[in-house]
Amino acid sequence: MKIKYDRVSFSYKSTDALKNISCEFESGSTVLIAGHNGSGKSTFLKLMNGILKPTNGSVYLGEAATKDKRISELASRCALSFQNPDDQLFAATVRKELRFGTENIKGDDSLFDPVVKTLQLRDHLEANPYSLTYALRRLVAIAGSAAMNTPILALDEPTAGLSLREKSFLGDLISLLKSMKKTIAIVTHDLNFLLPFADSLLMLAHGEIQYSGSRDGLFTRDDARALLTRCGINYPIYTRISKALDLDKQCFNAEEILDELIKKRAGAAPVPTSYSQ
Amino acid sequence: MILLSFKNFSLSYSKALPPALKNINLDINERESVVVSGMSGAGKSTLCIAAANFLEAFPAVVTSGEILHSNGREKSRVAIVMQNFYAQITYLRSTVFEEIAFPCENLGLSRAEIIRRAEDAISKIRIGHLAYRDPLELSGGEKQKVVLASAIAMEPDLLILDEPLSQLDPESTSYLSDVLSELKSEMALLIAENDPYLTLKVADRVIVLSDGEIISDGKFGEILNSTTAQHLDLPAWTKCISEGVRRKAFRSNVGVNPYELNYKKAISTLKNLK
Repeated sequence: MKIKYDRVSFSYKSTDALKNISCEFESGSTVLIAGHNGSGKSTFLKLMNGILKPTNGSVYLGEAATKDKRISELASRCALSFQNPDDQLFAATVRKELRFGTENIKGDDSLFDPVVKTLQLRDHLEANPYSLTYALRRLVAIAGSAAMNTPILALDEPTAGLSLREKSFLGDLISLLKSMKKTIAIVTHDLNFLLPFADSLLMLAHGEIQYSGSRDGLFTRDDARALLTRCGINYPIYTRISKALDLDKQCFNAEEILDELIKKRAGAAPVPTSYSQ
Repeated sequence: MILLSFKNFSLSYSKALPPALKNINLDINERESVVVSGMSGAGKSTLCIAAANFLEAFPAVVTSGEILHSNGREKSRVAIVMQNFYAQITYLRSTVFEEIAFPCENLGLSRAEIIRRAEDAISKIRIGHLAYRDPLELSGGEKQKVVLASAIAMEPDLLILDEPLSQLDPESTSYLSDVLSELKSEMALLIAENDPYLTLKVADRVIVLSDGEIISDGKFGEILNSTTAQHLDLPAWTKCISEGVRRKAFRSNVGVNPYELNYKKAISTLKNLK
């Protein structure tokens, strides 16, 4: 489902969190939303599922403007997993927690099993969420939102507090949802981990858009570094390594870097005899 | 001098569950920074809470051993930033400045000293622009910085931080790593953290926990091997080298350290692959 922000502003009591934001995300794409602390990222995400309604302007999910719909109606279009999982969890068991969202939107539960399997939560289904570690609580919160099987899934800082193992489960879930053509919006500081999954990027600073466009488009810009700095973001580490190794392609993980290095070595080798005939 | 010492310390949350910490023996010295790493569920947060002498708040039973402070003398002054730092903001005060001053008021310090410490912590964490904002209106990352400033303002002997930079933007992560490495001259640090870049910058020592047990204890570069590496996140350049070794992409593996932590050495090793 397509997402569109049209001249959106949002103000808390004494703070203008977002100013005149306009952007669009294609149906089925994965967008990362990055920016410095207090840049308006979480506010941006809360506007997406209608927990917050714009002070000015409109947010559209598909054809529907969030300001014209009740939050209960919007819940079947966009599921949001909060920055703090403890704000979200309340059911007595993980199983109930994962069923809750789906039951409330009277949705289908066909994603329950795939989500449980991908995030490796099978052994914890009967546990009380609050007896689990922070990392598992976060996975349960993400799973509860993902299992709702909404066309749009919004995740706020999904990697915070996860160790290597859970991060790889999360990566598997994102890949699965991408293959199902879900539209995924992720607020994150962990670009190093999530860039390989991204189609587009939205960069915010002080409530304003600094960049909105394709992932690869950002890194070909001459001012990419300055733009990232303005948003409180360092140059992604694999991009830095790609440059240090003079690779032709922007790489976003170790596998891609090795692929490119090996390709480069093959290219530099003498021409095989079969070619010279 | 030893500040705090775990002696054969074991702890359980429930009889139905395996112990959360098993036979922990660990000394933390004055002005030493110790990073505790390991997978989720390994016992990192429990170790932090135990070291902070904060177990009373949790349904935990110490099944063996003890924790000694300052060679058994009076308890060391300890401050902690918990993983769920949201729970640590009191919201009793209407400004960030007063929120940061609050723990110092509870220490019974003089007014002038409280103000000095709050101002000092605010400038260290670089949140002067937030000082007169209402804590209720801050973003998640801003709240994390406020809690960190409150803990630093207490000027403890031991500062315990459970994933202290989890909600911070990369620029803040970068300068606060520097702040933490400077704090080592004033206090000991015990940091539960899996971020390899922070670990590289701050850690004198890295402890790896697995299923409640210490499986490794030493300098980051020295403890890395095929066993510990499964439990640790490594810097991107180290992962590239490991991936190259795994694919047998180097002409010869002689002299190639699959756990090379040094950025420049890693890049030059990768260049030689061509």
